Amino acid sequence: MGEAIVITSGKGGVGKTTTTANLGTALALQGKKVCLVDTDIGLRNLDVILGLENRIIYDLVDVIEGRCRIQQALMKDKRFEEDLFLLPAAQTTDKNAITPEQMKKLVDELKRDYDYVLIDSPAGIEQGYKNAVAGADRAIVVTTPEISAIRDADRIIGMLEKEDIESPKLIINRIKKNLMNDEDAMDVNEITTHLSIDLLGIVKDDEQVISSSNKGEPIVLDPANPASLGYRNIARRILGESVPLMSIEQTKEGFFSKLKSLFSK
Amino acid sequence: MTKQQYVTIKGTKNGLVLRLDDKCAYSDLLAELRNRVSESELEGLSEIQVDLGNRYCDEDELKEIMKVIHQSQDLHVSKIQSDVISVEECNARILEKQSETFIGIVRSGQVLKAKGDLVIIGDVNPNARVVAGGSIYVLGRLKGIAHAGANGNTEAVIAASWLEATHLMIADKLELMTDELTILSEQPEMECAYLHTNGFITIDRLQELRIIRPNLSSFKGGI
Repeated sequence: MGEAIVITSGKGGVGKTTTTANLGTALALQGKKVCLVDTDIGLRNLDVILGLENRIIYDLVDVIEGRCRIQQALMKDKRFEEDLFLLPAAQTTDKNAITPEQMKKLVDELKRDYDYVLIDSPAGIEQGYKNAVAGADRAIVVTTPEISAIRDADRIIGMLEKEDIESPKLIINRIKKNLMNDEDAMDVNEITTHLSIDLLGIVKDDEQVISSSNKGEPIVLDPANPASLGYRNIARRILGESVPLMSIEQTKEGFFSKLKSLFSK
Repeated sequence: MTKQQYVTIKGTKNGLVLRLDDKCAYSDLLAELRNRVSESELEGLSEIQVDLGNRYCDEDELKEIMKVIHQSQDLHVSKIQSDVISVEECNARILEKQSETFIGIVRSGQVLKAKGDLVIIGDVNPNARVVAGGSIYVLGRLKGIAHAGANGNTEAVIAASWLEATHLMIADKLELMTDELTILSEQPEMECAYLHTNGFITIDRLQELRIIRPNLSSFKGGI
């Protein structure tokens, strides 16, 4: 029996889908059987990021409405033998096409065959969010150091605390070291104290994330990338390892850039 | 006159009191009140207080009595008082005197309401709202919206370990905690907000509270 984890944020554009794709990939790299479920019906993206867009035949709504079996709709990511699967969302209908009860039943079924079921939630707090949360055992809240994203994360944490799931964990995405050092943005500590939930990990902002998403290859596949390291660490923490947080030292400037800034003054 | 009077007017040091008998039938009382009001011997406009004694009247009955008295142009009721209240009202009053405790974080979009005082052990985050009939005490950071004395209690206060709310309300007064507000301090630690006699919400150090609102302390005797 596996575990279902919902990845949500409230605000749009903070990187829920990217996080889902990368965590799924990182867990598959660790040899776990992972199934990703995209619940953003009408605005699906997860398939694009994984580079599976043009192989979709059946989708989530087809499964729920009984037009096909789950196995038919699941798409295998060929990079990982039998470890990474995706259940894509439908694009032609909207979030009201399914109910939380149907979703729960589906996730329970998937949990039997997979170690981890990662559910990518849509933005917002309406039907789509309720569907995404319905079957989850745990929740991960993604936010960025922006104040608007933190506000929405706070709202969503409040809603998650009312659900019958473990207390949510936090991922701070898109950390820009310059901004945080200049105290123009809230730093990791401030955000964690403000939201007062456990921090699961931080991911540094990196342009490579976007370009690799465009190519359909999750950034986690590149072991040298700093964002990739963040996702890999988070995946290891999900598996129960205790991995130290990427320390502030690492987010600070390196020796040479320090030297450079010294001369430029 | 052999008949006992159900309605008597008395002059006290607080003004005229219209004493209504509490033993007779309500209909008899109303009939006599109607008579007395129409043949009122008073001249000019008078403020009177109505004393119902040990009679319990519900909202509709009170309205009816007021209506009868106000048929006379010269009378104006300033206050209606009764020596009895219903169990329901009594319970409501007890609740208003009690304090409720919430442990946890009040998050964005959540509303926490209490009939009486409200003690929050934890933070109140931005866009969260805490409402109390009495005072609000936050053992944590108050960063959201707080409304004390929601039923009109102007004596209510808002105290917090860290007072950086976006909106403060006491009774029907609202204060926006914008930058233009001079009462805001750099370090909003251990502060309280109260309704000043000038009608504006004022913020002061928590230490001043025992001087500003001595009645809030319910502890009897010395230390």
